Formats: sequence, C-alpha cells, structure tokens
Amino acid sequence: MNVIEITGVKKNYPLGTTTVHALRGVDLQVAKGSFLSIIGPSGSGKTTLLNIIGCIDSPSAGSAKIQGHEITALNDRQITDLRLHKIGFIFQTFNLIPVLNVRENVEFPLLLMRKYSKKEIDTRVEKLIKGVGLSEYIAHKPAELSGGQRQRVAIARALVTNPDIVLADEPTANLDSETSEAILQLMRDLNETEKTTFIFSTHDPEVLKYAKNIVKIKDGLIVGQE
Amino acid sequence: MSLTFKIAWRNIWKHKGKSLVIGFILFIGALLMTVGNGIISGMEQGMADNIVKLFTGDIVLISDEQESDAVLFGNMGGKPLKVIKNFEAAQKILAQETMIEQYLPVAGGMVMVLNEASEMEHTMLLGIDIHKYQQMFPDSFRLTEGRLFKPGERGILISEKYRKESYGLMDFWILPEDGELQKNNLTKEALAAADNLEFKRNLVFMGASTSNSTVDVRVPVKGIISYKSLNELWGHYCIVDIETFREAHNYLTGSQPVVQLSTEQETLLQDDSLDSFFGTDAVIEEQTTSEENYSVESLQELTKKEATTVYNPDAGSYNLVFIRLKKDVSQKEAVAQLNESFQKEKLPVRAITWKDAVGVIGSMAVLIKGALFLFILFIFFVAIIVIMNTLSMAALERISEIGMMRAVGARKWFLKKMFVYETGILSFFFGGIGILMGVIIIYILQAARFTTTNEFLQLVYGGDQLNPLFTGSDLLIVVSGLLIVTLIAVLYPLKVVGKIVPLDAIARE
Ligand SMILES: Nc1ncnc2c1ncn2[C@@H]1O[C@H](COP(=O)(O)OP(=O)(O)OP(=O)(O)O)[C@@H](O)[C@H]1O
Ligand SMILES: [Mg+2]
Repeated sequence: MNVIEITGVKKNYPLGTTTVHALRGVDLQVAKGSFLSIIGPSGSGKTTLLNIIGCIDSPSAGSAKIQGHEITALNDRQITDLRLHKIGFIFQTFNLIPVLNVRENVEFPLLLMRKYSKKEIDTRVEKLIKGVGLSEYIAHKPAELSGGQRQRVAIARALVTNPDIVLADEPTANLDSETSEAILQLMRDLNETEKTTFIFSTHDPEVLKYAKNIVKIKDGLIVGQE
Repeated sequence: MSLTFKIAWRNIWKHKGKSLVIGFILFIGALLMTVGNGIISGMEQGMADNIVKLFTGDIVLISDEQESDAVLFGNMGGKPLKVIKNFEAAQKILAQETMIEQYLPVAGGMVMVLNEASEMEHTMLLGIDIHKYQQMFPDSFRLTEGRLFKPGERGILISEKYRKESYGLMDFWILPEDGELQKNNLTKEALAAADNLEFKRNLVFMGASTSNSTVDVRVPVKGIISYKSLNELWGHYCIVDIETFREAHNYLTGSQPVVQLSTEQETLLQDDSLDSFFGTDAVIEEQTTSEENYSVESLQELTKKEATTVYNPDAGSYNLVFIRLKKDVSQKEAVAQLNESFQKEKLPVRAITWKDAVGVIGSMAVLIKGALFLFILFIFFVAIIVIMNTLSMAALERISEIGMMRAVGARKWFLKKMFVYETGILSFFFGGIGILMGVIIIYILQAARFTTTNEFLQLVYGGDQLNPLFTGSDLLIVVSGLLIVTLIAVLYPLKVVGKIVPLDAIARE
C-alpha cells in the first residue's frame, strides 16, 4: 500500500517578473515502510518536494495524496491535524522553540495531541532524548546547544509522536559521522519495528548506505529511481 | 500550567523590552483611567451632594410655560422665569406625595442693580421665606457679617462673591445696614483704597426684564453670606426676602405698591374690599402676562374661590419649588410621578431633576466629563496603536518560530492564544498595578483635601474640595476599559499571526 502518491506535481515560485519552476511534473509513489532517499544537486527541488509531501506547501498543479487524503482538498485545520498526527518533519534549518528546553521542545507535539498521559509523555520523551544522545542536556534551552545538538532535538521531536511518515531534509548535514550513524540507526530501527516510512534528502554518500530506495531529482524532475 | 501559558509567560520574559513597552502603556492607561474616572465620580457625587443638599433639593418645580429646564443658571440675561400658576393646587399634590420629605417654594431670577449714577449691574436673586429656607437648607450658607433678615422683614443677604464683583464694577463696598467695616474681609484692591471707600448699605434694583412696568425697590443689606460649597458658583445668587423679590418683579402689582401686601402690612389686607383685589394668583398673573385674558366672570369666580387664602404667604407668586425626596427614592421616578399627577389635575407645572434645573453647570459637568472621557479615549487610542505595533512586530520577528510550530502541528488558534495570553498577562499585571496606583493616588488626593476657589476647578471638584471616589462600578469601568483596549490591540497582531504559514518556518535569506 502506498502512503504517498504524487502525480504530475508542479511547483512554481513567482520571482519578480519571472517564474521559478521548482518542480516540473513529479510522479512518485512511496510504499508504507519505505526508507527512501532523495538525492540531487543543490536547487534541484528536493526541499520543495519534501515540503509538499509534508503538507507544509501545496503544489501549483497535480495531485498529492498522503495516506489517501488528497491534500489540495483539505482545509487548513485538517492539514494541520494531518501534520500533527501522521507526519514528522525534520527541517534543513533546524527550528526549535527558543523559550522551551530540550525536554519541552520534544514533548511539544505530544502536548498538542492531547492524547497521552503525563507518564506516557515522559517515558517517550526521555527514551527519544536518550536515543539522540542528549540526556545530559534535557533541561537546556536551544540557545545553549550546538547546531548538531539542536538538529538532534528536532529529530527527537519529529519521531516522538510515532508518525507514519518522517520527512527529513538533510538530517545529518550538521552532524559528525558518529552521531549521524547513531541517528540513522535509530531511524532504521523505527522503520523496522514500527513500519514508519522515512523519506530524506541528502548529499551524504554515507547516508545513502542506509537507504533502501533512492530517487534522483534534477531540475525539478525525477531522473532516476533505484 | 498550560503549554500556551508557559510559552506566553516565557516569551514575556524573553522579550523584556517589548513587554515593558506594552506594560508601561497599559500601566499608564489604567492609572489615568482610574484617576480620571475617580475624579469624575467624585465630581458627580460632590455636585449631587452639594447641590441637592445645599441648594436645590432633588427635584425642582417650574412653570410648564418655561421653555428651557435650565432655570437656575441657564437663562442669565434671558427672560424672567414664569410664575407657577395655581401654585396652591400644586402644593396640595406635593403635600400628599409620600416620596417627598420637604419642599420649599421660592422665587428666583435676575435683577438689575442701580447705583447713584443710574449705572446698572445685575445679580441673580433668590427670594425666600427665611424661616422655611433655613428649615430646608440649614447649611446652605453662613453669615460672615451682619445678620439674617427676620421672617417678614425686608432685607437682602449679599454673597461675598457679589460684594467683590460689585466693588470691581461699581466702586462701592457693600456693608450690612448696621455693620462696621471689617478690613480683613476686603479685597486687596479695596484694602488699598480703604481710607476713602464708598460704602453702600442698601441696594436699589429692579426686575431684570419685566418690560414696561418695573418698580425700583430699595432694600437694606442685612448680612453678608458665604455659601458652604460651590461658593463661586452659587455666589451669583444673593438672597432676598420673597416680598421684595415679588415687588421687584412686579409680580403682584399694577398701581398698588407691593408693600401693601408685605407681611408687615397684612392688616391692610384684612379689609374686605382689598381682599378680593390682591389676594389671588389669578389677578397677579393677569397683570404680568399680558397675552392672557381672563374673562370678568372667570376672574370673579377665581377671586371668590381664592379669597380665603389671601393671608397665606404661599398664595403669592413663586416660580420655583425645591423638593427634597425621601431617602432612596429615585429622582426619575419621582419626577415622572409628579408630572403625571400635575397632568391629571391639568396644572401648568413641571417637575424636573436638579440636574436639569442647574442646566449650565449640569452641562458643564457633562462637558468636563466628556473632556476627561475624550482624554481617556485618546490614551486608549495611543495604547492600542503602540500595543498593536509592538505585538505585530513581535509576531513578525518570531515568524520562523511560529511557522515551525504550525509545521509541527499547532493549529492557528494555539498561536493566537499564545499572543492573547501574552498580552493578557501584561494587561493583568501592569494594568493591575496601574489601577492599584490609581487607587492609591485617589486616596492620597482624598487625604490631601485640596480646596479651591477657582470657579472652574470647583466644577471639576464638584465642590470646594477635591474628593475623588473609587467605587466598585469604577473598578468595573476601568477593568472593562482595559479589557477592551487589550482585545482591540491584539486583533491586528492576531491577524498577522494567522497569516504565518508553516513554510515560513523555512527561512530563506
Ligand atoms: N520560496 C521560493 N521562492 C522562489 N524560489 C524558490 C522558493 N523556494 C525554492 N525556490 C527555488 O526552487 C528551486 C528548488 O529549490 P529547493 O529548495 O527545493 O532545492 P534543493 O534541492 O532543496 O536545494 P538544496 O540542496 O540547496 O537545499 C530553487 O531554484 C530555488 O531557488
Ligand atoms: Mg534543500
């Protein structure tokens, strides 16, 4: 079963008097439990594609179905709830809430869900923070962390809700190889145990070793798949 | 502690500068609103207390022919007040009305004061029965020189204010009939000229606009008075015995001088033939209001009916009745009920509230209130603009943070709530301090007992003394004002927040 079905998706950005064609007609099916890597040169449209899959951007044309929901047909609130419950997103530029510490940042989506007890939240959050190796920093604010540490907090936050789909835009770009591997291993474990679908963009050949599938993108078009 | 509250609270501390700007403006707004409102409340209360207790009572009766209600200060230089016709019948209604505690018929109006050179000046006069007046308004004024006129005696009590004014305008210093000059009561200018001051111990005046048939009346000055409160305002009025007032206004006359009707000469009236002639309002009215024509028959009828009441001083002409209501009786209800009764009896009398009767000051109070209100509105406006701007800036500065929260799954309302909480907390805290400070200032002002002789300030104070008030309803007004400001100020920033999309999380420089 495909958790993601993208057909003929185009994305145009108006830029002054011209238009940037970031995606020129992308077709992509992703099966549940995939561990998919999107590769391509800078400016090829990786981030744009992930944004559309992650429901934080909408296509200019074409159709994008996430778990059977045509996202162009959903209203803002439905899309927001879809993001909260089904999707974990790790941004290329790691974004945390500055006034919250590591623990609070990670538990943020869980609190939004209003689904779990305090105890459940605590065990989940602590497990994930341990998983990304930040147990010592649990009470630190983002400003007191390094870039890589912040990235790991963002990863923990994306995984904490146990989403069906995790999207990661160059998740390891700021990490040393050791941490990178630990995190990739964590993702692979989740992928195996929970059948979580992972899609991530990368430049890093090391990362590609973990990928089960690879999609190549160039100038807004998919040019290869393996 | 809710998540939203936690984030809001910490953001307040994180962005201290902005919080302080918003807080300060809310503090100032709340403070000014509290103090301003307190002064207004104090003014209203003071006015009501002073005027009702000391001068007019709660309700004033006037002739229904009177066009404007503002009979006490509103018609300076205008036509004289209309005499209340058939006062006796109205009096019966007043006597029966259980809401009324006390009432006092008087005559009020303006007279021209003449000096030797036949120059003219004017003053407001209140014609009273001194005995009854003191029963109704025992604290209204105090004597500073001389004595009061006795019941039935001719005489005038000059207000301090008028004495000073007349000195400035006509160069004579008024003294009681048999009083000595008291130097410490002189104005600076009068004191400088103390050695060759011209004294005046009686005044000659005539009713201001009783057109063709005026009578010059000379009246001895019995005393100098100072009103207990709002002296600068009420000082426009000098107090004269009612008979002199009537005489000056030609209320009773024609060919016969009113003197014959004065209480001293009541014996004269016991003569039957005079009786039927002078003893009624109807006859009096006939001669003062030329547009009305009573037929001889109806006149005879009226005179016959009224003949027995001729010795009653109340049978004379009055143009005002001051009515004091019993405690806790609503003025509005009483006015309505009285007017209903008058209408039922077809009496040409109208009951109005003291506020309507004082007119000018009443509306001055409204003006001052309006001015203060506008000022507060202006503060509100500034506050709203500043808060709106600061919050919108804050929203834009946190755009990627907010976008990220949206991307992670926070609904729009969650983020809006965050801003509402932020502003709400600031409003509660700083507004609260502002109100508290305002209340403290009000208490300090109360304790300081500022007094004034300045006429305008007396209006603002609602009396001689600044006595601001802070009541539960004032608190309600200020709190709702603060709430409204906060809500309006937050509306636009919320719109800005609402427009932030998840994509904004991904900063693209
Ligand atoms: N908001 C935008 N406005 C204008 N152009 C945009 C916008 N977002 C993306 N683009 C353009 O779309 C194209 C694809 O951008 P995208 O960010 O998807 O590339 P990428 O593959 O993620 O690159 P990188 O590897 O450098 O992150 C680029 O040419 C980019 O300039
Ligand atoms: Mg990118």
